[in-house]
Amino acid sequence: MISGPNRTIRLTAAAAVALFLAACGAKQVVVQGNFPKPLMEQTPLTLGVVYTESFANHEIYDEAAGREETDWLVKTGDAQVEFWDTLLGGMFTNIVHIDSHDALHAVEQDIDAVIIPYVEDLQYTIPLHTNVKVYEIWMKYRFRLVTTDAIHEHSDGELTYDPNQSIADWTLSAYGKTPTAFLQSDEEAVNLAAVVALRDAGANFATSFHRVPAVIEWLETRNAITEVPAAALNGDSSGTPDEPEGASS
Amino acid sequence: MNRTLTTSRHPTGNRRSLGYGSALVLLFLFLQGCVTATVDEMTFLEPTEGIGDSSVVILGRRHAPDYETEFDFIECIGDHIRRGDNSITVLHELEFINMMYPWFEPRTAPLRPQDIDRLLMQEPVANQFTDIKLEYMIWIDGSTIETNSSGSMTCGVGPGGAGCFGFGTWGNASDYEATIWDFTDQTEVGRISANTSGQSYMPAVVVPIPIIAPVQGTACDSLGDQLLDYLSATR
Repeated sequence: MISGPNRTIRLTAAAAVALFLAACGAKQVVVQGNFPKPLMEQTPLTLGVVYTESFANHEIYDEAAGREETDWLVKTGDAQVEFWDTLLGGMFTNIVHIDSHDALHAVEQDIDAVIIPYVEDLQYTIPLHTNVKVYEIWMKYRFRLVTTDAIHEHSDGELTYDPNQSIADWTLSAYGKTPTAFLQSDEEAVNLAAVVALRDAGANFATSFHRVPAVIEWLETRNAITEVPAAALNGDSSGTPDEPEGASS
Repeated sequence: MNRTLTTSRHPTGNRRSLGYGSALVLLFLFLQGCVTATVDEMTFLEPTEGIGDSSVVILGRRHAPDYETEFDFIECIGDHIRRGDNSITVLHELEFINMMYPWFEPRTAPLRPQDIDRLLMQEPVANQFTDIKLEYMIWIDGSTIETNSSGSMTCGVGPGGAGCFGFGTWGNASDYEATIWDFTDQTEVGRISANTSGQSYMPAVVVPIPIIAPVQGTACDSLGDQLLDYLSATR
C-alpha cells in the first residue's frame, strides 16, 4: 500500500502525465446545433431521401503538420442528417427515409423521386493556420435527384444508383465562420462555424433548388413549380468564397 | 437632421462623502480607461407618436469576409432601448433569424429595403411579418478591433506566494453604422454611425490592476441613445 508523501508524489506525477497526454491528443468536435425549419411554401412532392453511410457518418481527420499543431477530428454526420431532415421536411410535403431496397419497394408508389446528398469536400481553418482571428468551415455538396427505378442495392447492402436514370445532378458550396471570442475554446468555435456552414448550405439549397435547370424541367412535368423570389437571393455576392485559401481538409 | 456629438470619459474622482457602495462604484469608474466617441446621425420621418404596439428588430450584418458584427453588441443595443423605453418591443435577433430561416442568413439577407417586397412574395414569410407587426428593421454593420498593444508582464509562483510585475497597454476601436429601414414603406429612414476608441492599461506590482476602456460599451450606449431618441415618443 502506498501512503503519505509517496502517494501524493505519484498522484501528482500521474496528473501531470495525464495533462501532458491530453495536451498532445487530437482535438475532437462532434458537431451539434439547433436547426430551424425553413419558412417557405412547401413544394408538393414526396421525396425519398437516401443518406449513404459515408454521409451519415461523415467526419474529417486532419493530422498535425508540425509539433505546434494538434490533430483534428471533426464529425459532422449526425448533424448533417438532423439538419437535412429538418430542411427537406420543411421544403417538401413529405420526405421518406430510404435505408434499404426493401424500404424503397414498400414506398416506391408513393414517392416522386429520391434525393441523395453527398459531402464531396470539407475544409476548415483555425487562427493558428491563418493568423486571422476567424474559424472557418467550407463544404461542398453534391446532390443527385433520381427516379425510384435508378436505386439498386449493392452486395454489401449499400444503396447505389444508375447515373443514366438521374433526373438532376448538381453541386453547391456552403461557408461558415465565427470570430475568436474570449473564453471560447477551439472546439466550440469550430462547432459554431460548422453550424453556420450547415445553415448556409440549407439557405443555398432552399433558394437554388428551383433554379437547377434539370430540376425545373422535371418539376414542370410534375406540375410542381413553386415560386421562390429570385431577387431575395443575394447568391454568390454574399462573400461566400468558393474555396478558402490555405484551408485544411 | 445632422448632429455630431463628441463625448469622453476620464478617470476622475468625486470628492463627495459617499458610502461604501458608492466608493466601490467610484473605484470602478476610476479604473476605467479613457474613451472618445463620435456619433453622426441623419434621420428622417421620425415616428413622433412612437411605434405603438409594433415591433423593431435589430440585426447585425455578417456577410463581409473579414469581420462580422458581434451578436452581443446587437443584444446590448436592444437591451439599451428596452431599458430606455419599455413600451418598445425589440425582437431578439437570433429568435428572429431562426423564425425567418433561411431568409436572413448572410447569403440571403436583404441588402436594400426594396428587397423586402420580394421576400413578401412568399406567403409564409408575409404572414410571419404580419404576426410580429414589424415596423422598423435596423441593420448594424461594424465591429470592434484591437488597434495596438505593447508592454510586458512577468508572473511567478513561489513557496511564499504568487505575483506579477510589469505593464501592458492596448488600444481598441469600434466603428458601427446603424441603418434604419421603415418596413411598411420599404424605405431607408436614417443612418447613425458611432466611432469610439480608447486605450486600456494593466500595471502590475504583485497584483495586476486592469484599467479597461469600455470602447464597445460606449459605442453601444451612443448608438442605443440615438436609436432610442428616434423610436421613443417619450424622449
